[in-house]
Amino acid sequence: MKANEVHLDQPMVKISNLQKNFGDLTVLKDVSLEVSASEVMVIIGPSGSGKSTLLRCVNHLETPSGGDIFIEGELVNNTQLKHKAFETHLNRIRCKVGMVFQQFNLFPHMTVIENVIEAPIHVLKRDRQETLKKAEELLAQVGLEDKMDTHPAMLSGGQQQRVAIARALAMEPKVMLFDEVTSALDPELVGDVLRVMEDLALGGMTMMVVTHEMGFAEKVGDRVVFMADGFIVEDGPPKEIFRQPKETRTQQFLADIL
Amino acid sequence: MLDWSIIVHYFPFLLQGALLTLQISILSLLLGIACGLVAALCKLSKNPLLRWPASFYIWLIRSTPLLVQLFIIYFGMPQLGIDLGPFLSGVLGLGLNVGAYNAETIRGGIVSIPVGQTEAARSLAMSSSLAMRRIILPQALRIIIPPMGNNFIILIKDTSLVSTITLVELTLTAQRFIGSTYKPFEMYLMAAFLYAVMTTTASVLLAKLEKRTNRGQR
Repeated sequence: MKANEVHLDQPMVKISNLQKNFGDLTVLKDVSLEVSASEVMVIIGPSGSGKSTLLRCVNHLETPSGGDIFIEGELVNNTQLKHKAFETHLNRIRCKVGMVFQQFNLFPHMTVIENVIEAPIHVLKRDRQETLKKAEELLAQVGLEDKMDTHPAMLSGGQQQRVAIARALAMEPKVMLFDEVTSALDPELVGDVLRVMEDLALGGMTMMVVTHEMGFAEKVGDRVVFMADGFIVEDGPPKEIFRQPKETRTQQFLADIL
Repeated sequence: MLDWSIIVHYFPFLLQGALLTLQISILSLLLGIACGLVAALCKLSKNPLLRWPASFYIWLIRSTPLLVQLFIIYFGMPQLGIDLGPFLSGVLGLGLNVGAYNAETIRGGIVSIPVGQTEAARSLAMSSSLAMRRIILPQALRIIIPPMGNNFIILIKDTSLVSTITLVELTLTAQRFIGSTYKPFEMYLMAAFLYAVMTTTASVLLAKLEKRTNRGQR
C-alpha cells in the first residue's frame, strides 16, 4: 500500500510492532493494536509500563524507534519524507488527532477563548467570527461559557482541563488522545472532566484514554488494554478485563489498585 | 566651586552631544535586538550550520573587550577595504556587542518555557516556527525584558566608548570643551547628568513595558 493513500475501511488508528527506546531504556517493546472509528479504548497499567509513551507516539510527540503507526491508513512516521515535507505531513495528520495532557498545558498568555481559537485561526486559517462562535459552543459544551475572557491562571485545574478539551475539539479531530488527564486534579474536580469525556464518547468520538480511573474505564470504555513492561498483556471488553482477567499480571495489578 | 556661567553657556552644546548619544543608542539597540534574536534562535537550532556560527559569534563578542571590537571595526577593517566611518562603525560595534548578550538572555528566556507548551502547540498542528512566534516567544518576552533592559542601560553608558573612534557624542563633546575652558569638573558633571537622564528615562520606560507584559499572569 502506498504511504499516502487513505482507506476509509481502515481502522482509525493502527499500530504495528511499535518500539520505543530512550537511550538504553526500552519503554515499548512490541506493541500492536487497532482502534476502530467511534471506539473508546482505555489503556491501563502500572506506571512505567509505556502507556503515555504509546499515546505520544500516535501523534508523533515521540519518534518511534521501530514499527509503524497509521491514522486512517496513512503512515504517520513516514521516514521517506524529509524536513519541511515531513513537518507538513505531520501537521496534516495532527489536525486529525487531538491531545489532552495531564498538566493541561493551556497557553497562559491567552484568555480561555483565545486558547480555543488559536489553532483553528492560525493553522486551519478559519474565519475569525465563525471560529469564535464555534468556540463559544464548545465552551458551553464543557460548561465554561462564563469563563471565556478569563486567563487560565484564574481557573481551577478541572476548569483548565475542560478548556484544554475544548481547545483540542476546536480542530475537529477524528481521534482524541487523553494522557492521564485527571491525574493532576483534586478529587472533587475529576468528575466534571470525566463527564465531558463521557459525553464525547457518547457523541461517537474515537478515543484513546490512558487513565487510572477504573470506574470510567468500565463504564465508558468499549475496550480495555492492560499494558505492563512495554507489552500489551491483555486486551478485551471492560467486563472481561475487570471481572475475569486471564493473565496473572493483570490480576495482580487489579488486586493492587482496587 | 562650580562655575555656573560655564554650565549655562555650554549646556546646550552638550545637549547636542547627548542627542547623538541617544541616536547611537537607539540604532544599536535595534541592531542588538535583531542580532540577539537571530543568534538565540540559531543557537537553539538542531542544525549545526546555524548553531556553530551563532555560538562562535556569542563567544567572540563576550570574550573580547568592546573597546578592542570598536578599534577593529573602525581602524582595522579599512585595511581590508571596508571603511564604514565613525558613525556606522560605532553603531555596528555596539549593536553586535549588545546583540551577543541579548542572545544569551533571549535563549535563556526561551528554554525556561515549559516543554509542555511546545508539545501542546505541536499537538494542535502548529509548525515549529508558528509555535515559536505565537506561543513560546510571547511568554519568553516576559522573562527576557528585565535582563535585556539591563543590557540596554549598560549600552547607553557604553556609547561613551565610541568617543575613541572620533564620534563627537556626549563624552567627546565634553572633552573638547575642556580643552578650551579648562573646566573638567563642570564639563564631566554635565555629561554625567545627561547620561543619568537618559538611563533613568530608559529604566522608567522599561518598567512600564514590564508591567504591560505581565498582564494576565499570576
